[in-house]
Amino acid sequence: MSRFLFPRWTNALLPFVLVLGAVAPLYAVMFVAYGFSPKTTEAGYMPVQPVAYSHAVHAGKLGIDCRYCHTTVEQAGFASVPATQTCMNCHTQIHRDSPKLEVVRKSYETGMPVEWIKVHKLGDYAYFNHSAHITRGVGCVECHGRVDQMEEVSRVSPLSMGWCLECHRNPTDRLRPVDKVTSMAWDQKAEMTRQQREALQQTFNIHPSENCSTCHR
Amino acid sequence: MPRLFIYVGLILLLCLLIPPAVIARVRVTPNSNLPVHFIQDMDFQSKFKAQSVNPLFADRRAVRPPVDSTVARGETYVDAYFYDGVVGGQWATTLPPQIPLTMATLQRGQQRFNIYCSVCHGETGAGDGSVNQKAMELVANTNGPVNGTVWVQAKNLVHDETVSVQPVGQLFNTITNGIRNMAGYGSQIPVADRWAIAAYVKSLQRSQNAHPSDVPAGVTLAEAK
Repeated sequence: MSRFLFPRWTNALLPFVLVLGAVAPLYAVMFVAYGFSPKTTEAGYMPVQPVAYSHAVHAGKLGIDCRYCHTTVEQAGFASVPATQTCMNCHTQIHRDSPKLEVVRKSYETGMPVEWIKVHKLGDYAYFNHSAHITRGVGCVECHGRVDQMEEVSRVSPLSMGWCLECHRNPTDRLRPVDKVTSMAWDQKAEMTRQQREALQQTFNIHPSENCSTCHR
Repeated sequence: MPRLFIYVGLILLLCLLIPPAVIARVRVTPNSNLPVHFIQDMDFQSKFKAQSVNPLFADRRAVRPPVDSTVARGETYVDAYFYDGVVGGQWATTLPPQIPLTMATLQRGQQRFNIYCSVCHGETGAGDGSVNQKAMELVANTNGPVNGTVWVQAKNLVHDETVSVQPVGQLFNTITNGIRNMAGYGSQIPVADRWAIAAYVKSLQRSQNAHPSDVPAGVTLAEAK
């Protein structure tokens, strides 16, 4: 009769096993919440673009307004990526032999588009409208971060639904005067009082909807 | 209790710290790979959104450029005054009837001028915009122009006599179609905004050639602003 018996010292393990059993589910939940969060999986996406275009130089150092290139942002839901013509407004003359611009020049000659890679991609069931936000005082920087300091554009926001709702439930602090919408360095929390932002909310009549159909159609 | 069990247990416990550390690192590191979608939902649907790719076409554009000689609704271009700035074969000297000369128009023009024009011409129209300054630097480089840059100083829109005498219709035409080294902005700026900019350029010229007698009697400077 050779029945296996746990040795006597295993009794000392019992409290540890109990603690582990209690902590393990918590650990698993935290792991999923923290690890699978869009803040981990989505934010920080920085694709290698076909052209080494620097927003830090163009929007930052040269101070070119966002709308010089992204012309549709105030009228349309989609903020268009500029045509090659827009690059060539200047680059037929400036840095016209630069090897960095080879892809742009080729696109200009052949009419084939430069295949820029979309950084801020939403789920195909979500419809974000740029013009609705831009024309009512939500600055570019609120979602896109300091693009004027980025050599390569990366995604600073998770663009998750929870993240959208954070602002839709409390928009006041994200509002600025419409003429400051593209000013990346301008901070409404430093430059305005809460009362002024509340007044802006009144003026623009902003009552963001939390209905599903606002963004999902 | 055998020592081995204690050591293995401790090492396993320490290993539990690795996943959070990896996640924390992923959170602060930019990543060039496509984001991982653990739960696909309907994130990727078989439809085309603006400016997306359709590999069936040679140029891979999902949106098709209009066939040559097609005319979109509302883009008939039969009104030469409004679309070309021409009245009876001459450059228009006043704004077309669609564009009222109001403060709102001028302010719109100012805003658009500062977006599209000031990069070269400067906010006052003096030809000292940031791109112009940078290009002049590149040309003046001691080892020769950088990357073959060529540049002609941007025009002073206010004091250059070839510009200051131009009628508003001619300014409109230059904005639309470009001139010499300047590219046309017809595709970037809608027609009404181009008129607003042309009107604003006129007002820039006027304001910088102002005389004290222009101030209406009884108006102080603070009010006039």
